[in-house]
Amino acid sequence: MPGPGFWPNEQVIGEIDMNWEIKTVAMFASEALREGYLGAAGYIILGVVAIAGFLAVLGMVLIYAERKVAGHFQCRLGPMRVGWHGVLQTVADTIKLFLKEDIVPFQADKVLHILAPLFTLLGTLLVLAVVPFSPGMQVADVNIGVVYVTAVGGFGVLGILLGGWSSNNKWSLVGAMRAGAQIISYEVSATLALLVVVLFSGSLKLSDIILSQEQGWWIWRAPVVGLVGFVIFFIASTAEINRTPFDLPEGESELTAGFHTEYSGMRFAFFFLAEFINMFIISAIAATLYLGGWMPFHIGGLDGFNAVMDLLPPGAWFAGKTSFLIFVLMWFRWTFPRLRVDQLMRLEWKILLPIGFVNLIAAAFMVMFGWYYGN
Amino acid sequence: MEIKFKTLVAPEIKRGCLMGNMFNALGSLWKGMKITIYYLTHPSTVVTQQYPENRETLKMMDRFRAQLTMAHDENGHHTCTACGICDQNCPNGSINVVDRKNPITGKKELDRYIWRMDSCTFCNICVQVCPFGTLEMKGNFEASVYDRRLFVYTLNKYAGPDQKNLLKIENLDDRKKQMESRDIFGGPVPLSGQSIAGLEAGVFDQLRKTEEAATNG
Repeated sequence: MPGPGFWPNEQVIGEIDMNWEIKTVAMFASEALREGYLGAAGYIILGVVAIAGFLAVLGMVLIYAERKVAGHFQCRLGPMRVGWHGVLQTVADTIKLFLKEDIVPFQADKVLHILAPLFTLLGTLLVLAVVPFSPGMQVADVNIGVVYVTAVGGFGVLGILLGGWSSNNKWSLVGAMRAGAQIISYEVSATLALLVVVLFSGSLKLSDIILSQEQGWWIWRAPVVGLVGFVIFFIASTAEINRTPFDLPEGESELTAGFHTEYSGMRFAFFFLAEFINMFIISAIAATLYLGGWMPFHIGGLDGFNAVMDLLPPGAWFAGKTSFLIFVLMWFRWTFPRLRVDQLMRLEWKILLPIGFVNLIAAAFMVMFGWYYGN
Repeated sequence: MEIKFKTLVAPEIKRGCLMGNMFNALGSLWKGMKITIYYLTHPSTVVTQQYPENRETLKMMDRFRAQLTMAHDENGHHTCTACGICDQNCPNGSINVVDRKNPITGKKELDRYIWRMDSCTFCNICVQVCPFGTLEMKGNFEASVYDRRLFVYTLNKYAGPDQKNLLKIENLDDRKKQMESRDIFGGPVPLSGQSIAGLEAGVFDQLRKTEEAATNG
């Protein structure tokens, strides 16, 4: 059974010079805790404020980008009126949503109706806390990072289910139930695809997974298996965050607006914001697992090439990869038609899941015999 | 009597193998993505007009139907013979062709071609049925005015014989005498010289000018 050097991680990390120093806000907080509670509390507040600010700004930027990109995909211009080329459009929209009346429908379950969007946003916020932006920019580096991401991501659908149920509206309920069915199905495939990378890197910790890609990204270092895993993860995550072509819970043409039919003002904005930040999160997680996160593009053995690649800071690499994946998601959204419910289930249980299982078993064999680049 | 039914067999839906279907699906998805990325990377495909800003350079499509006009040639002659086919074919009576007898020759000629924009549906039938190609739909879509009376247009610029009969007259002065001037807003709800409440006379003249420019161009 696994002896020393069985896990590729140990071998790989043994060879390279560890010039990536991982620092997180949580580490600073724990160090400050030796001095006293006040410093630790300061760091925790810093982390919370940073994430909340990032969430708000990123949401506005993403919504503007989406509208602009969508416009040009459809031979339109997108927002053009508020500010230069409409850059202030989302700011104006945000102010409008803040000022709008928050309506709770008659005979709705008031408490749940008010709580639901908060749950959805909470799931998003919690995942954002472990996203590794660059070696020195991460709020917390949890040692079970991948499990944490999968588990906490489920909070989002809890909010959707509560919102749909409490609205006392048949469209909301149908939309919410669809969201539930969808996440139950696609979570399986997404997790199977995650496990491929966990097998290769031998760790659940997100920073370790990134460090294990110093010789190259898993998408090409693990031949075929990496690519298949990446595609499955990307498709399944798109379905999990209810984005077109899997936006059945919203389904404008059938369900008015699905689970958020009865929401307005701020609470609608929460759902909307969570949806867009989730898009960033799955792009960031996919980039972290398969495209090396903040790790520059390295090819094991080519030191000169690697040095050139290191000229760009890790944060820029992360931003580049994540924005590329976000762009691909937008590209999907404005090209593909929505799936029917039976097609959605067929795609998951008959296509993605079997391929995911075969892929995982193949990955296990490849790890055991060391059939991948850089080993 | 025995009725014979024809047996219909539903065509068999051919299903490919799993991998074949999958690659087909991926191929067709990629086809769609190629089209959308082409639109994204080629801003010349954008069809949106930034209207109030590009008002000077805006060019409407040739097929756009926003204003009925009567074509006048370079001498100011039109080809309308007051036959009234357009009048008869107009589905909602927006056209009224008023004819008269020429005082000299006694022939029928156009006195006033009245078009009511407020009831017009821009169906284009009048243009299609005209045997002389007199009518034309123009793209001048800025139709809002301050008074409903301004929707009643007189399309012909003169009352008199059509182009064919006018060209028979050799003398230019005699030709001019046959053409009695008609004002664009001088129809059955006359506005000549009057001002409209809340609207200054200068503005009205301006409106008349732009309206005439649109009709000419």
